[in-house]
Amino acid sequence: MPLKREVGWYKNAIFYQIHVRTFLDGNGDGIGDFQGLAQKLDYVQELGVDAIWLMPFFPSPWRDDGYDISDYRSVHPKYGTLEDFKSFLAIAHDRGIRVVIELVANHTSDQHPWFQESRSSLDNPKRDWYVWSDRDTKYAGTRIIFIDTEMSNWAWDPISKAYYWHRFFSHQPDLNYDNPAVREEMWRVMKFWLDLGVDGFRLDAVPYLIEREGTSCENLPETHDVIRELRKKADEEFPGTMLLAEANQWPADLRPYFGNGDEFHMAFHFPLMPRMFMGLRLEDRKPITEILQQTPDIPPTCQWAIFLRNHDELTLEMVTDIERDYMYDIYASDKTMRLNLGIRRRLAPLLDNDRRRIELMNGLLMSLPGTPIIYYGDEIGMGDNIHLGDRNGVRTPMQWTGGGNGGFSTADPESLYSPPILNPVYGYQAVNVLSQKRFDHSLLSWMKHLIRERQSTPVFGSGTIEFLYPANHRVLAYVRQLGKETVLVVNNLSSAAQAVELDLKRYKGNILIEMFGRNIFPRIGDLPYLLTMGPYQFYWFRLRRI
Amino acid sequence: MAEETLLNDEFLRQLMNVGEVDILVGLPTYNNARTIEPVVRAIQAGILKCFPRERVVIVSADGGSQDGTRDLVTGVSIDDVWKASKVYALRTLPVVITQYGHSPEAGLALRTILSAADLLRARACVLISPDSSTIEVDWLQRLVRPIYNEGFDLVSPMYRRQKFAGVLMRDLLYPMTRAVYGVGIREPYASEFAISGRLATDFLNGEGWDDDTTRNGAAILLSVMAITGKYRVCQAFLGVKPPQDRSSADLVEAMRRTVGALFSSLDANFQFWSGVTACQPVKTFGPESEVTLEPITVDLGRMREMFVTGVGELEAVFKTVLDERTLSELQKLASLEIDAFRYPAELWAKTVFEFAASYHKSVISRDHILQALVPLYRGRALSFLLENQDASAEDVEKNVESLCGEFERLKPYLLEVWADRK
Repeated sequence: MPLKREVGWYKNAIFYQIHVRTFLDGNGDGIGDFQGLAQKLDYVQELGVDAIWLMPFFPSPWRDDGYDISDYRSVHPKYGTLEDFKSFLAIAHDRGIRVVIELVANHTSDQHPWFQESRSSLDNPKRDWYVWSDRDTKYAGTRIIFIDTEMSNWAWDPISKAYYWHRFFSHQPDLNYDNPAVREEMWRVMKFWLDLGVDGFRLDAVPYLIEREGTSCENLPETHDVIRELRKKADEEFPGTMLLAEANQWPADLRPYFGNGDEFHMAFHFPLMPRMFMGLRLEDRKPITEILQQTPDIPPTCQWAIFLRNHDELTLEMVTDIERDYMYDIYASDKTMRLNLGIRRRLAPLLDNDRRRIELMNGLLMSLPGTPIIYYGDEIGMGDNIHLGDRNGVRTPMQWTGGGNGGFSTADPESLYSPPILNPVYGYQAVNVLSQKRFDHSLLSWMKHLIRERQSTPVFGSGTIEFLYPANHRVLAYVRQLGKETVLVVNNLSSAAQAVELDLKRYKGNILIEMFGRNIFPRIGDLPYLLTMGPYQFYWFRLRRI
Repeated sequence: MAEETLLNDEFLRQLMNVGEVDILVGLPTYNNARTIEPVVRAIQAGILKCFPRERVVIVSADGGSQDGTRDLVTGVSIDDVWKASKVYALRTLPVVITQYGHSPEAGLALRTILSAADLLRARACVLISPDSSTIEVDWLQRLVRPIYNEGFDLVSPMYRRQKFAGVLMRDLLYPMTRAVYGVGIREPYASEFAISGRLATDFLNGEGWDDDTTRNGAAILLSVMAITGKYRVCQAFLGVKPPQDRSSADLVEAMRRTVGALFSSLDANFQFWSGVTACQPVKTFGPESEVTLEPITVDLGRMREMFVTGVGELEAVFKTVLDERTLSELQKLASLEIDAFRYPAELWAKTVFEFAASYHKSVISRDHILQALVPLYRGRALSFLLENQDASAEDVEKNVESLCGEFERLKPYLLEVWADRK
């Protein structure tokens, strides 16, 4: 039974990002699949999240980990069948877990039949489904995104003897959204999955749908037309469907993707994430408050998607040069950790496996405005393998047990799609779900507690935020408010104990109730409210007037 | 450890909010409304440009300004600076202001700043004069880098001066310090310098903060401590130091603050300096010295008159302070017309040494001794001006070097008069 598509369900949700390939191998071939994933939905439910975001699981030559799709309406045979997907979806919905899938709309694989037809002749009906040119100088003002691998946004096709446009890898030709047939076909793809019951889509590489000479070919008005068209159809035929934009842009440039509440429901807040890491290491709230001050208001039905880590590198595109240099020096001193303009590492290694810092960062993730997304494995503190190429180092098998292959697969270790993490600190013998489930104070147990507290009130998902600016700049404090509910969040970004005085005069008379322990703190009076905080400590206080 | 009584609660609260820092920039302010804004702006720009990652705090220790200086210090927004310089600030840059009293006192201001540096565990503490009208954005890094990169403890400034500016420094403080302590610091009394956290803490913990000499001459005593305490000392070239207008009263006060402190330091450090026989080179970042030749107006006749009057009126004092032969030579000088007036380097060095010895023995009130030196210094300054009237920059430098050589040659004489073995 599909879950009822409630409008706005995403606003107070917590997402869990999963790659089918990495989660559990159900058929023993060394690759994760839908059968395996379905088996682990109990775990996802226990974790307490509301929705799963699945990375691409469609047929693909896998030259970009599935983001090079060769068939939009099927499941990669390595992951199972469409029936397996339907079964997984039904079980997820039975457990109250929604499922959001990828719509890699900007480009296809060069192996996709559409592209094969398009390149086959100049008069093929699908010729205009892609962006072709007889010269490679068009759209010269467009930046190259994968600077480590690509020299140009144009690639020569020896078959049709013309250049085709690609914003990502050269084996990923961009679709031509000026062509109404392409837009219609993409809607039919969405409809196919919505008919099966999926709850939403993450639209990959949104800013790049349309090209125009003399522009950066990003965020163009015509791109918004395409999005509005798709949104309108989704609202009309499948109300409650959530559209999430992947647009790595500054907040002001992102704002138009929400339109008047008639484009995306959600968009990733990319610039916030690196600044959370920066603020932590600088022990200074400035990077975080500054970027959130620059973040424009969005329509009430819309929501930011926020995250600490995901399947990609920790992107440093939306930072200044000086910030990027700092982040590289601090978090990726070994150059093999760097990729494109980012850092290909997981949360726990980035934070030196420091439990206090991991907790603080997750505390921030759960209390700042937006819908938090947890990347699979980060809830148990999984490590990475920087010796694997591209971003594969953060896509290693989920570590379920301390047994063979970390409980991920019964296949021979040599046949796994990726070697599991084996080192003494982050290896599956040391870090795994089974062992962490046994202890109340494990990271996993703590994460469940954190998620429960977050879910205990809609104030974090839907409330306003007001920053307090105590003189101690190592302390990040803010008030979240929704209706009569008020929560005070105080975070010590420093590795040392701090004292902080908060100006809470306007809440005079309230008592503070610490949300994790339910302990009562002194009533707010006329004087500045003094708190002392341990290293990396954070408090969530409910304000109650009793 | 800083004394509790020195730092008021509000100041402590501000420091508590700042927390540990890498660099503390101290501004000893007092009625600097005319100049303070560009100084703070230059400091902030220097931080953004050269130390964007470091934890830096600006501390203004104010002597009770009545002209809005304190408001101006806090009013300079880092946002304006980074927008103008196009350099983005990674961190919060806190500015802390405290008023240590109702009248300016250089030693107390320094002590307040050093206390803050000590409490905040600053790795480097920089002092900048709030009336540094020629401050450049790079000053901060020129002063701090030697501490950061090469482990120096005191970075003393070097300036490009007009050839007749800073005569007290050139004719007395520099040659005396160099001869006595064997370290050629050009500006042993500086209004801009940087010290390591280690030296800041050690100096703060030293004794004598309660006596006037220490309070008034803290800056020069800091240099002496750096030299005698085997800290690593270097110099950094900062650029132009414009001459400052000083009244006659200022000179007496300056003499107390600088020469008084220097003489006073000799008491405590006799074991050290009595064994120093040669001058050690000091590493200098940037040019060794620079002299400019812009014209400057000086009333030479007035200077001679003050010298002559002093020699006549203070004869009784000089008789207790100076050797007979020295006094006799000075009296001869007082009879010369200005065209023939020359105060020879040897006589000047002996004069200074005899005053130092008398100061040591407190033959009369120490303050009277210092005041008595003032007219003689005017005579020597007059001689310096006359000798160098047409001199090139190189010639001025040669003359200064020659004077230093004379002080060094006569150091045994200092030991002799010090021990009263005339």
